[in-house]
Amino acid sequence: MDFINLLMLGFGEAITPANLSFCLLGALLGTLIGVLPGIGPTATIAVLLPITFFLPPLAGIIMLAGIYYGAQYGGSTTAILVNLPGEASAVVTTLDGYQMARQGRAGAALAVAALGSFFAGTVATFAIAIAGPMLSQFALSFGPAEYVALMLFGLLAATILASGPVLKAIGMILIGLLLGMVGTDQATGAERLTFGAVELFDGIDFIVIAIGLFGFSEIITNLERSGSAGVTVAPLTRLWPTREDFRQSWAAVLRGTGLGTMLGLLPGGGATLASFSAYSLEKKVSKNPQKFGTGVVEGVAAPEAANNAAAQSSFIPLLTLGIPSNNMMAMMLSAFMIHGITPGPSVLTNQPEIFWGLVASMWIGNLLLVVINLPMIGLWVRLLTVPYRLLYPAILLFCCIGVYSMNNRIFDVVLAAGFGLLGYVFRKANCEPGPLLLGFVLGPLLEANLRRTLLITQGDPGIFVERPISLVMLIATVALLALMIFPAFRKKREEAFQEEEA
Amino acid sequence: MAGPAASGKGDRPDLLTAAIFVGFGVIGLWQTRVLDGGTLAQMGPGYLPRVVCGLLILLGLVIGIAAMRRDAAPIEPIKLRPLLVITLSIVGFAFAVTHLGFVIASMFLILAGSLADPGSNWRTTLLLAAGLTAFGAIVFVYGLGVQVPLWPQ
Repeated sequence: MDFINLLMLGFGEAITPANLSFCLLGALLGTLIGVLPGIGPTATIAVLLPITFFLPPLAGIIMLAGIYYGAQYGGSTTAILVNLPGEASAVVTTLDGYQMARQGRAGAALAVAALGSFFAGTVATFAIAIAGPMLSQFALSFGPAEYVALMLFGLLAATILASGPVLKAIGMILIGLLLGMVGTDQATGAERLTFGAVELFDGIDFIVIAIGLFGFSEIITNLERSGSAGVTVAPLTRLWPTREDFRQSWAAVLRGTGLGTMLGLLPGGGATLASFSAYSLEKKVSKNPQKFGTGVVEGVAAPEAANNAAAQSSFIPLLTLGIPSNNMMAMMLSAFMIHGITPGPSVLTNQPEIFWGLVASMWIGNLLLVVINLPMIGLWVRLLTVPYRLLYPAILLFCCIGVYSMNNRIFDVVLAAGFGLLGYVFRKANCEPGPLLLGFVLGPLLEANLRRTLLITQGDPGIFVERPISLVMLIATVALLALMIFPAFRKKREEAFQEEEA
Repeated sequence: MAGPAASGKGDRPDLLTAAIFVGFGVIGLWQTRVLDGGTLAQMGPGYLPRVVCGLLILLGLVIGIAAMRRDAAPIEPIKLRPLLVITLSIVGFAFAVTHLGFVIASMFLILAGSLADPGSNWRTTLLLAAGLTAFGAIVFVYGLGVQVPLWPQ
């Protein structure tokens, strides 16, 4: 196997001054926009996409990739410091990360997140290099039936994460699915749930929903609760993780990395599903799951490792099969297309320098990110001492520009404000909006695959239990459902969230 | 909105949840009423939305009925000031940025948005607005190339 040679070729490409500086630029930009709530990598990459036309193909793609995984680092920073996930994948980081910050352990949480992410990024990079070409074979054996079963499992697993009753979480997923159906139906071209608004024919943007539900409504509830006093700033006694923190988190990082790398491979998976799943896995293997949500270091380490691993391994389906697994990869796909490169198996054989150069640049980028992030942790921590009355206008402005910059439409901003109100009502109803986002992202994929499956079998749902992979995942889904209905488990789960709601 | 509840009974946040779920379900069913449902083998555009809406209504009813039988629990008090000020300043920004350019829109957003917090003083707010507007113009308009005019055209 000449994989070492290919990797050396990749490093040779990635280490050229031009590519190296675009890697650094991407990582810096990614961290910046990940930290700034309201402007996410999707919007940034969309804005930068036309610019990459003027760059060499590899340099442009390296930079865009850097923004994506850089944002995973940056997104955790705001999640921990101000309870505002910079990215959907950082939503679960808020659960324990923010609690840690409130206990004066913000520095420890940030350091664990950065180091965990670096480790995960390194492992995921080598996973792409070693297993990428091979694993594509396994993903090839997935039919639509398997995807349906997988997505049902993923959605249900997410309900365990939501604080509050399972029924509410399932309801939030259903609302997310419904919102995901808004717009032109992929299969028939019919307009659905648009209220006749032309602006909705392309569906609702993820960013509009995320900024509305998390950005705007968070600002409103924060102001309602504390007024000018702002977020309570816990005294920061220690900025570096203790030996105890390291001891507790290394296993979680390992599990998160493994799970994230696997889940990133699957279409529809990616960073968000990975961080959600890693968190619930941690909670399950933990000896004291009731402590989750109160500032447990594993609750930060595992999802942060997982989302970074998944952000990188989600490149595998794109690079080896040519199938984008999420809207970020769809962006990357168009970045390739701008240069007339169609990602897929042919790139691996005809233009190996593109594939291996990108792989090598990811590892270099991760190294750069640790260097960018760790020394600057002090700077992020200082942000906490800024009173909320100075902070929220800034968040408000970035959110507004972020939403507006997607399409330059008044409509998007007004819609996001509407979702802000909806998020406010959700909070009053004690509903956690996290699962809604997951339902929204997976909805269109679920529908497309369900249709495809049943079209193939001519309406016979038996296929879901006939295909072994699908059967295993459905059994897991049913087992999960049974667990949640089982009274003892339910009680335990309620205890786990009691602290968080208080 | 929270439905009828006898005194001493009725978990208000859960009743609100029920109203939200049923509301979404009903609106969804109403919006998809003209769409073709199709069959299981050939799903039309209306098939899955109707299934989801049906589940939402069912779930809403289950939660609602359970909530009625539980002891009364109040909804957190609602403060209108931040709710209205923030929402209106966002909407104002959207219109201003399109017609009056980034600088005026950003100044408006921050000055108006600051009214949500009764404790702010005008000097700090003005400085903050000027600083953030300059920062936004440099980073987003020049740096990231967001297609927004800076000044009214």
